[in-house]
Amino acid sequence: MNKTFVDLLKKYDYSFLISMLFIFIIGILNLYSATHAHTSETMQGLYKSQILWFVVANIVAIAISFINPKTIFKLTYFAYGVNIILLVLVLILGQKGMGAQRWLVIGGFRLQPSELMKISLALALSKYYCSKSSDRELYLKDLIVPFIITLIPTILIIMQPDLGTGLLLLLIFLVISFYKRLRWKTIGTLFIIGIISGSVMYKFGLKEYQKRRIVTFINPQADAKGGGYNVIQSQIAIGSGQLTGKGFKNSSQASLNYLPENHTDFVFSIFNEEYGFFGSIILITLYVLLLMRFVWLATSVNYFFDSVLAIGLMSIFFWHTFINMCMVMGLSPVVGLPLPLMSYGGSSLLTFGVCIGLATSLSNSRNIF
Amino acid sequence: MFGDKELIHIHKARALQIANIIVICFAVVVARLGYLQIYKGKLYQKFSQQNRLRKEVVRAPRGMIYDRNDKTLVDNTPRFDAMLTRQFLSNKEATFKKVSKILDMDLSEVKKIIKKSSYQAKYIPIILKKNISQKEVAMIETENETLPGISVNTFISRDYLDKEIGAHALGYISEISQRQLPKYRKRDDVDYKLGDFIGQFGIEEQVDKTIRGDNGFEYVEVDALGRKKKYINQNDLFDGIKNQSPKPGQNIKLTIDRDLQLAGYEALKGTSGSVVAIDIETGEILAMVSTPSFDPSQFSRGLTQKYWNSLINNEENPLRDRNIQEHFSPGSSFKPFTAIAALEEEFITGETQMQCHGYFKFGRRIYRSWKRGNSMKVGVVDSLKNSCNIFYYKIGAELDIDVLAKYYRMFGFGKRTGIKLPREVSGLIPTKEWKLKRNGIPWQGGETLSCAIGQSYILTSTLQLANAYATIATRGKRYRPFIVKEVLDQNQNIVKTMKPELIADLKLKESTWDLIQRGLYRVANSPGGTAFWRRGKGNQMAGKTGTSQVVGATSVQQLYSKCEDKEYKFRHHGVFAAFAPYQNPKIAVAALVEHGCHGSSAAAPVVEKVISKYMEKNMPQFKEKYAKIEREQLIKYIRKRKAAREKAQEAEDE
Repeated sequence: MNKTFVDLLKKYDYSFLISMLFIFIIGILNLYSATHAHTSETMQGLYKSQILWFVVANIVAIAISFINPKTIFKLTYFAYGVNIILLVLVLILGQKGMGAQRWLVIGGFRLQPSELMKISLALALSKYYCSKSSDRELYLKDLIVPFIITLIPTILIIMQPDLGTGLLLLLIFLVISFYKRLRWKTIGTLFIIGIISGSVMYKFGLKEYQKRRIVTFINPQADAKGGGYNVIQSQIAIGSGQLTGKGFKNSSQASLNYLPENHTDFVFSIFNEEYGFFGSIILITLYVLLLMRFVWLATSVNYFFDSVLAIGLMSIFFWHTFINMCMVMGLSPVVGLPLPLMSYGGSSLLTFGVCIGLATSLSNSRNIF
Repeated sequence: MFGDKELIHIHKARALQIANIIVICFAVVVARLGYLQIYKGKLYQKFSQQNRLRKEVVRAPRGMIYDRNDKTLVDNTPRFDAMLTRQFLSNKEATFKKVSKILDMDLSEVKKIIKKSSYQAKYIPIILKKNISQKEVAMIETENETLPGISVNTFISRDYLDKEIGAHALGYISEISQRQLPKYRKRDDVDYKLGDFIGQFGIEEQVDKTIRGDNGFEYVEVDALGRKKKYINQNDLFDGIKNQSPKPGQNIKLTIDRDLQLAGYEALKGTSGSVVAIDIETGEILAMVSTPSFDPSQFSRGLTQKYWNSLINNEENPLRDRNIQEHFSPGSSFKPFTAIAALEEEFITGETQMQCHGYFKFGRRIYRSWKRGNSMKVGVVDSLKNSCNIFYYKIGAELDIDVLAKYYRMFGFGKRTGIKLPREVSGLIPTKEWKLKRNGIPWQGGETLSCAIGQSYILTSTLQLANAYATIATRGKRYRPFIVKEVLDQNQNIVKTMKPELIADLKLKESTWDLIQRGLYRVANSPGGTAFWRRGKGNQMAGKTGTSQVVGATSVQQLYSKCEDKEYKFRHHGVFAAFAPYQNPKIAVAALVEHGCHGSSAAAPVVEKVISKYMEKNMPQFKEKYAKIEREQLIKYIRKRKAAREKAQEAEDE
């Protein structure tokens, strides 16, 4: 018994948990620096609750890492179904938070089903694709069922309204389909469809503030209300960091409250201001290493479901990281996606904790289960 | 079919492509970082360090408040504070020395202020001195270069031109508190920030949303020392940033007549009391004064600890509006309503005469009249004139409290008048059910007797009393009292006019109105009436005195001693309510003077002064006419008395 336990600890894949810890440590220092000079005491104490959430996320991740992926495989559609029901419930009786209905309160605990949906979707798509386990390339018609699987939660989430997360689901769907050998020709067709439906949606389907974000991005001059202000301030913060940065707690942009949301969406700007180009290279390298580990995992597991799931989980991490960095640098509209493990927020920490836990479980399944 | 391992192998190519895409994506990120931090880094560094962009709030000027004749009651004046931002301080000692000299402060005082706020972030400006003079402002501005970190903060403060007079109705504004912040944000859907001023009392609170306007903002470039460099208009980097000018608040015109307000305040000065005047044909509040009072301007200028303490520690509580936020037993001023109940229920008629001797026995208790040994028979009219308690005890012994309560409620007692001012009390009209519920003890018959003369559980506010007397004057029509007459825009164009709102139209017998009005008229206009000597000149006021008993006298000696000999806080309150003029009623006024002992000597003069002012202003020819009639009647009366005396003398002589 004792021997098997030691054996287990030897075979356990620590790489994901350690990556998470490294990025989190950088994140928490950065969060402290971004909020320490704030006038309100709740803001100053944010880093404490972030640490608490990290502990919770770790416990969840470690617990999940001991579940056999076969069990997860069986529960996949069930989890997807439950999550859809939760999304519907949010729409019916969700609590208003920041002008959008995203929360569901269950026994005093605030649940954000749209966060969990990212993972549920990756699971459902993985299962669907491996049930059709042929080696054939995917044609457009092969996408119909998985697209519907994606579209249902996407529409429910966009109705909340949370455009950023909704579009993220579509992106996850794209990455998984790409991995499942979607033909390049079909990708081209999809690209054209995407542009057409996108412009139609912009015209009729977007809320005023969502349109404004996109307009601000394309043409900052067109925005009279100062929505471009955040991006300009963010760029000043990043640029002024130069090669080596201003150092810990020395971000003037943060301390002068030039940058709103500097503890959530704009943490990367503060990080850049304080640690400069070199610091960012280190942080980006950490993210890339983690993502590569996911890709490696996809090629080295024993089951195809595991492999697709690894890519799905990777895509969740990838899109958050990439889009967040792009938006604070003025390369994409500000859609409100957090930077994994760096931005303040319990729900997002928990989501990434679950991702890490699942990945570890997949990796462990090769040797342990 | 393929095995899982083979499938994974087939997909390996795509996995590699994905890995490549990831690397490419982050290469783009790094390239962008390189562009921002290396290529443009110096420029951004400059913007960040030397030139700071600051988004400054431009506060919307708050709307002005005018009286009904367009006299300004509240306006805005700029106020200046000297500020210090520690982040920008350099050459500390010299700067402190210089600034303390300019502001006429001790050097140690300056240092103390800075030390006190040292726990705060360095970039937050600290107030060095509030309310500095124009001269001090000019000196700081000219010495700008040698005073790093020192700046002047300008903002608009609220000026209440009449200071204490009518402060309760106007209210005050002050900085939103930490506790109010979330509540008010939710209520108004406005993103208030600490430092924002909001209406906290009276009209300022009630119409806050209308008169506050919308703040604007402007972007300001400040240099490394926090000094404003220029206002941002056009600049490579700041393209797309635009300023927004504030939207001034709307102006408010009140129903208040400043002259009546002054007359009321003058009459109440030095006492604790309240007076309110209502236009009986519309419900417009013409005057509303409560004493002791406070100076609302102090709140928007930043209260000094001393002034605040003087308000808080004053036992008379100057911050309460005694017109609507306090209630009391109306005493005999409540008798007309009991008489109305008796007339309408046909327990008495105009002809009914009752003995008004010194006491009335009910059960085992003896209820005394306030005058002893007075043993004549009176009708309902003279029962009001003489304020005969026995008359009303008899009504109370006969009529049920629930029946009386029904009539009292008809006149608006026992519920809020609905004036749109915050925190109005509802007063109290007891019923049997109410008492059983509250005390668990059934109603006692004797209590009805006390209620019939406005004592016991009965509680009314001054405003309720005035409005009920207005209802007597209009013969049943009662309007919801209101104080905001018009909302005006910046150019004084009328945006909204408040219309009178009829809330009750009582259908009582004409004879009832006649009898009650005549009784009230005699109180002030017939020799022997309780307010005859307080009637003023040419007012034709019809009213009723009352004494609100203050319970809690400690010793027997105190209890039976004359009111004026008692300790101040055990003296009774004086109440008087009236309408005028009798033949052509226009205005109803009620006043309460706390611990004033008598309605006649304390409260009646207050009411009379307000009515006098009203008559003088609005119906001077009537006032003269009435004064003439009064003079003639008095002469006639004196002659009659003289003749009677002479006749008696002659009879004696014979």
